[in-house]
Amino acid sequence: MKKSKVKVRICLGTACFVQGGADLLLYNDFVDPAILAECEIEGCSCLDECKVGNGSAPYVSINDKVYSGVNQDMFCKLLAEAVKNA
Amino acid sequence: MLELNNQYTLMKRKIDTEVLKCFFDDTLVEQADRLPLEIIPKTRTPFRCCIYKERAMVRYRIMALAGINIERDDDEEKPLAEYMQEVLTEDKPPLPLLTTIITGCSGCPKSQYRISDGCRGCFARPCMSNCPKDAIVFINGQAHIQEDRCIRCGKCMEVCPFHAVVHIPVPCEEACPVDAVTKNEQGFVEIEHDKCIGCGKCVRSCPFGAIVERSGLFPVLRMLKRGEKVVAMIAPAIEGQFPGTLGQLKAAIKKAGFHDVVEVAEGAEITARNEAEELHEKITEGKGFMTTSCCAAYMELIYKHIPYLKDRHSTSLSPMGYTVNIIKEKYPDAKMVFIGPCLAKKAEVARRYKDISGVITFAELASVFVAKGIDVREMEGEDLGDTAAFEDCREFAITHGVADCVMARFDKDGVNARVLPINGLDKKTVRLMKTWEKRAPEADLVEVMACEGGCVAGPGTIVKPALALKLRNAAKTAKPAVK
Repeated sequence: MKKSKVKVRICLGTACFVQGGADLLLYNDFVDPAILAECEIEGCSCLDECKVGNGSAPYVSINDKVYSGVNQDMFCKLLAEAVKNA
Repeated sequence: MLELNNQYTLMKRKIDTEVLKCFFDDTLVEQADRLPLEIIPKTRTPFRCCIYKERAMVRYRIMALAGINIERDDDEEKPLAEYMQEVLTEDKPPLPLLTTIITGCSGCPKSQYRISDGCRGCFARPCMSNCPKDAIVFINGQAHIQEDRCIRCGKCMEVCPFHAVVHIPVPCEEACPVDAVTKNEQGFVEIEHDKCIGCGKCVRSCPFGAIVERSGLFPVLRMLKRGEKVVAMIAPAIEGQFPGTLGQLKAAIKKAGFHDVVEVAEGAEITARNEAEELHEKITEGKGFMTTSCCAAYMELIYKHIPYLKDRHSTSLSPMGYTVNIIKEKYPDAKMVFIGPCLAKKAEVARRYKDISGVITFAELASVFVAKGIDVREMEGEDLGDTAAFEDCREFAITHGVADCVMARFDKDGVNARVLPINGLDKKTVRLMKTWEKRAPEADLVEVMACEGGCVAGPGTIVKPALALKLRNAAKTAKPAVK
């Protein structure tokens, strides 16, 4: 059976965007292409996490699980893990 | 220069947002002295020596945001609340643009080259052979630089096959194109304001955050709070700085309290037309080369350091200058605020444009959005009107863009114009431009951008230039689909 792709959504609410979320959009430049091939990455509207959560911007949702305070390094690791477990 | 994505920038944005939240809640005076404690809690693992120094730096950052001249008016006994009270009742003068935080300055040692343990003491010894001053000696099989002979040319670093030579710069001094940043007797940073051209490179390069811009945000916020009719002029570089479309951004800016939004690209179209005409005249009459005049830091450079270029830059107003006229016609009773990526723009406004009441940066606008909970991407996009005539002039924000717009309006009729872009001012390009007095460049039109890459790489931007370009291109390709 063909593996389904990992669904990645990067929050593009203004708060996330200015607190480093924008840098994640350059994923082509810093994520391993082999990992990227297994992922479907898109920017999304505010995940509303900043209004309720205790974490910090930027937020990223991977297969509907939300992570907070994601930087480029963490983004790579999270994707690699998600692809491995898929 | 430092990569835009770093801990200092993120901290700065956080502080700005917290301060503005208090401002909008009308609790700024009461909360001000608590903010450093809340932003740097006891539990934080400090990046500086201790949390107390970090708190002191937050205090200074807040003062800079409030437009206070820290090097002149810093009084450690005065509570932040008193400073805030001041800025809520009076507007601070816009100049000088920058101020220093001596507390933060690390007092970096003089710029130097050093040979590390990576030196293998090879047989070829290219460092020794290529050193013009015979400053390299070998002790115990490793190369050493004799400080008194070294002229810091960097040749040894270039030729070492093991990358064993390291250059340890003084980032602020190295970044300044006009040597306006120096050290005082104690070895701490000092800015010579009458030399400074406001390019903002030192601010961007100091990893300790010891040089800051004195923000002009508070006077603008007070205007908005008083309910005055203020029109926002958005610089062409704004596209790609925020999520969402330009139409949504317009809506967001209006939600922040501005009466209307006008694109400076509309004024840029007039600048491009005038420059095309002037260039044509210069060439046909054999008057020699012409430079652009839209870059505010470059204009400061001319007036402070390279006076002969006064007769060489185009006589056209900057795009902002023409946009003033456009707004005046439409809203004769409105005040105007320029929103851009640029610090030098403040100097241009103070020098020439009494009609403009404030200059703020994209980063400051973003803090306003976040503090007010405005989400650009969730806004209902507003109509930008008919932009067809000046759409291409949004490219003024990118190196080559100004020249391209001028050339697109240039009446060829057998006349050929050679273009030379100056992509970013640094010590080297400034030296080059000084030689043009004796030996003119082989060009008819010289496009000067103080920031490498153009305004999209300016000191007041939010995202990296690479991403800004990506988002701008995406917006361009998305457009036909919408129609």
